[in-house]
Amino acid sequence: MRGALLVCKKEFLELSKDRRTVFFTFLLPIILYPLLIAMVAGLSRTDEVKRQGRASRVLLVDPGGLLEPLLRAEPESFELVSPPAGDLRRAIRDQRLEMRIQVEPEAPLKLKRQQTFTITAACDPSEDASGLALSRLKRVLEKQNHRWVQERLRQAGASLELDAPSRLETLEMGDLGLKVGRTLGAFLPYLLMLMMFAGSMQHGIYATAGEKERGTLLSLLSTRLPRHQIIWGKLLYVFSVGLMSAIINLLSMGLSIGGAFKGGVAVSGGSLADLASPAVLGLTFLLMVPLGLLFANFIVMMGIRARNSMEAGTSIMPGMVVVMVMAVFSMAPGIEKMPFLPYVPILNVSLAVRKLFSQQGNAFEYGIALAMTLGLAAALTWLSTRLLNRETAVFTL
Amino acid sequence: MIELVDVHKGFTVRDRKTRRKKRIEAVRGVTFSVCPGEIYGLLGPNGAGKSTTLRLIAGLMQAERGRLRVCGFDAEREPEQARACIGYLSGDLNVYGRFTPREFLKLFGQFQDMEAHVAEGRAQALMERLGLLDFMDVRMEGFSTGQKQKVSVARALLHDPGVVVFDEPTTGLDVLTAKTVLDLLRELRAEGRTVIVSTHVMPMVEDICDRVGILFDGILHGDAPLEQLLSDRGARNLDEVFFQLAAGEA
Repeated sequence: MRGALLVCKKEFLELSKDRRTVFFTFLLPIILYPLLIAMVAGLSRTDEVKRQGRASRVLLVDPGGLLEPLLRAEPESFELVSPPAGDLRRAIRDQRLEMRIQVEPEAPLKLKRQQTFTITAACDPSEDASGLALSRLKRVLEKQNHRWVQERLRQAGASLELDAPSRLETLEMGDLGLKVGRTLGAFLPYLLMLMMFAGSMQHGIYATAGEKERGTLLSLLSTRLPRHQIIWGKLLYVFSVGLMSAIINLLSMGLSIGGAFKGGVAVSGGSLADLASPAVLGLTFLLMVPLGLLFANFIVMMGIRARNSMEAGTSIMPGMVVVMVMAVFSMAPGIEKMPFLPYVPILNVSLAVRKLFSQQGNAFEYGIALAMTLGLAAALTWLSTRLLNRETAVFTL
Repeated sequence: MIELVDVHKGFTVRDRKTRRKKRIEAVRGVTFSVCPGEIYGLLGPNGAGKSTTLRLIAGLMQAERGRLRVCGFDAEREPEQARACIGYLSGDLNVYGRFTPREFLKLFGQFQDMEAHVAEGRAQALMERLGLLDFMDVRMEGFSTGQKQKVSVARALLHDPGVVVFDEPTTGLDVLTAKTVLDLLRELRAEGRTVIVSTHVMPMVEDICDRVGILFDGILHGDAPLEQLLSDRGARNLDEVFFQLAAGEA
């Protein structure tokens, strides 16, 4: 094993000499995610504050003058504007106003007769400001409707509680941590898989096809190191880079989201610790090790077989697409109920991680996923070792 | 000591036009030996099987038939032990550009299981001998072809190998660098090492080789001192021997 460690050390030494690659692989995520997420969070917060602090511009068509005093009583929420030039739809889309409220002309009469009258709100709920105007209107109307009903009940000499035969009070029994865990469990395997594969792909190509292309592989093979140790060293390197890359990306992303949206359902260092016990994290990591090894084996095997870096890249890419498709598939809701899923490689890892995070861990399914991934990783290690031993892997004929 | 007895090696390639597999016999029943303190020159045109023979000796390929022993080790059954006593250099080998010669040689010292201080001392001595001591701590990516080849020579000789296998070591080198390599080969012979060199450069063969073997189409023609080889074939120089072989007079 000493030889394998030496080869791995050589790969890391070579990597450490390339500052740009080190920066883009390990340091950029640490800087990039906090920056990006802080920027997005800052922008959305500023936008929210702006929207909440500004009165909604409303065109009110109210011949009976029923709604006007209500809206004017809340100047911080509504600003009555004059009709815009041109098409109303266009005016809303161009954000010249947020909503048009039309009250039917007979509204005061109908109110007096204790009949229902109609208020039509024209808005675009896909626009945040327009949606906010609608919710403000609903709030005002709900309050006013309640007053009108109470007034009618008083006139009729009926109990004021007549309009509310029951009152619903809800007690939140759900576990926020569990909810976050389920959400996290759904996309965590996707992120882990993708980052592990993508993070190690270029390094794997550089260490295999790249080394062949640069004419340095023969120097390595001409030493006393047994060939299987050379391939194990390269595997160890590709695997380590993939795992490190995934962990760094995830931690950086998680901590940034946590910092930016404190108290939300985001994954922060603190909430992660709350919802995912060390056992869950440990078991997840344990699954990721053979999965990373599986990916590393695939990358190294393709890299060794390829004649040059470009060929290696193009032959590894379909593998990445398969992983992506599987990862996306594993995020689909209800997927965990499929009975065959625990027996599908890679997908069963996703499933196991999902269940671990939603506290529905199943020892049998976990065991199958672990054993299957370990078995596949071992088989691929054996295969890739044999492949490097073939002369055709080194000498292109 | 290198011993090859009836060594065969072939490759299967696919004909791009007919899409059929084709067998190419690169080395056909080659038998020769090289003793310590001797430089053996392996000559032949392109595609004659020189590099394949040297790769077989260096343990980078395995013979399909025959017996190949290096330093008393069977190249097939004890490949690691055999490789441990070989210093292999080929014109198409390269160095790790991101490393300095010191780092590169230190690393290969570790690969060859050398003690750190021994490897460091030997690297220093070799680099001094090759005139590159001032570049010990400079990244090799900016090195010229000659400088890289010198570092490769140092890498091949770092672990003090008993057998030196150089495949076209002067290809692409200027006269001065080529002379440094040839002088070094003479020194290695004087130190009692077994040296085998393949080349196209006839003056080099006449200059340094004690014995010569000519490979043509995978078959070894002649395995004798240069003068004997020429007199046996009635040729004035090696070029004539080549033409004779090409004309099928062998």
